[in-house]
Amino acid sequence: MTDAKRSQSDRLSEAEAIERAKQGDASAFEALYNLHKRRVYSLCLRMTANTAAAEDLTQEAFLQLFRKIATFRGESAFSTWLHRMAVNVVLMQLRKKGLNVVPLEETMEGEEESARKEPGADDIRLAGSIDRLQLEQAITELPPGYRMIFLLHDVQGYEHNEIAEMVGCSIGNSKSQLHKARMKLRELLKTSRAEKAARP
Amino acid sequence: MDGERGSMTCKELERVLPELEGVRSFELEHHLRTCSACSALVSDLNAIAEQGKLLRTEVEPGAHLWASIERTLREEGLIHEARPQLVSVTPRASRWRFPWLMPAMATFLVVCGLVLYQRGGLEPVTVSPRIARATLPADARPAMFPEEEDVLKLVGARMPALRATYESDLRAVDAYIRDAELSARTNPNDELAQQYLMNAYEQKAMVYELAMDRSQP
Repeated sequence: MTDAKRSQSDRLSEAEAIERAKQGDASAFEALYNLHKRRVYSLCLRMTANTAAAEDLTQEAFLQLFRKIATFRGESAFSTWLHRMAVNVVLMQLRKKGLNVVPLEETMEGEEESARKEPGADDIRLAGSIDRLQLEQAITELPPGYRMIFLLHDVQGYEHNEIAEMVGCSIGNSKSQLHKARMKLRELLKTSRAEKAARP
Repeated sequence: MDGERGSMTCKELERVLPELEGVRSFELEHHLRTCSACSALVSDLNAIAEQGKLLRTEVEPGAHLWASIERTLREEGLIHEARPQLVSVTPRASRWRFPWLMPAMATFLVVCGLVLYQRGGLEPVTVSPRIARATLPADARPAMFPEEEDVLKLVGARMPALRATYESDLRAVDAYIRDAELSARTNPNDELAQQYLMNAYEQKAMVYELAMDRSQP
C-alpha cells in the first residue's frame, strides 16, 4: 500500500468509511480494519494466547463484519458491533476445540463458598502486591467465559451495557460474571503465591 | 463468618458486591471497617481490577493479515473496483423472475430462528424437516436444500466464478447451524448457545442477501 493510499484511508472518518464500505470501496474496508484491528487482535490474542490462532480469529471476525456491513444501521456503536462478532467468533472457536466455556447461568457458589469459609485463614493479602506477569498467567487459567468478560471490562474498558450487547446477555449477568471472574483470579493468585512460598 | 458486623452481614456484602462498581454505602463502609476478611476481599478485588487496566496494551497483528482479508473480500465480490456509473441496459425479462423471493427466504430464516429462540429450547421434536436435514454429520456432505440450489444457479448464471465460493459459504453456514443447534440442545439454558444459533440463522440470511445483490445486473 502506498503512503498516499494509507493517508487517504486514515483520513476517512468511521461513518464515512462505513458508508463507502457498503458500496464496496476497498480503501474504506481498509480504513475500518486499521481503526479497529489492534483492539480486536489484542482481545483474540489474550483469549487464545497464540498469535496464529489470534490472527485467524481476527480475520474471521473482520470478514463476518464486512460481509454484514450493508446491514449496519448504526443502532449500536460500530466497535460494539465488531466486538460482538469477535466475541462470537472466539467463543465459538473455543467451543469447537472442546474447551469449557462456562455457561452464563453457571454459578461458582461452591468455589466462592470454600474461598469464604475461613476468610482469616489465608491472610495473604493481594492488594498492592499483584504483579503483571502473575495476573497475566492467572487470566490464561480462567475459564473462557469469565476470561472474556474480564478482558472486555477490566482490560479493554467496556461498560456492562456494551458487554451485554456484545455477548448477548443481560447487564446483571455481565456484572455477575465479572465478579466471579475477579473472585476466581483472586483464588488463582493466592494459590500461585502459596505455591511459590512453599518452594525451597 | 456470617456474624453481624454493624448493619450489614458478610453474606449481605457478598450478595451486593457484584453490583457495587465503586459505590459505597454507609452500611458497607461500616462493615468493611469492622470485618477484616471482607475488607481484604474488597481490597483484593479492587486491586485486581486496577491491575487489569494496566494490561490495556494493544498489539498489532501481522501486516499480511489485511492482504489476506482483502483477497477474500475480492474473491467474494464484496470489494468493487472503482468504475463509472453505468446505465443498466439489461432487459427486464432477462433478470431472475423471482427476485423478491430472496429477501423473503432470508426473512423466513431469521423468523424461524426467532421462533426457536423464543421457545427457549430446541427439543428434537420441534425441529423442522429442513433443520433436521441440516443435522447430518459434516463429513457426510449433505445434499443442499432446493432453495440453496436455486441461489447457486442464480449466482452461477450471473457470475460463474463466484458459484464455488457461494456453495462453500452455504455449506459452511449449514455446518455452523448444525453446530449451533447441537450446542443449544446440549446446553438449553445457555444464553450464549441460543445466541450462536440466532447468529447462525442470520449468517445464512446474509449469504442469501449477498447472493441476491451479486445476482442483480
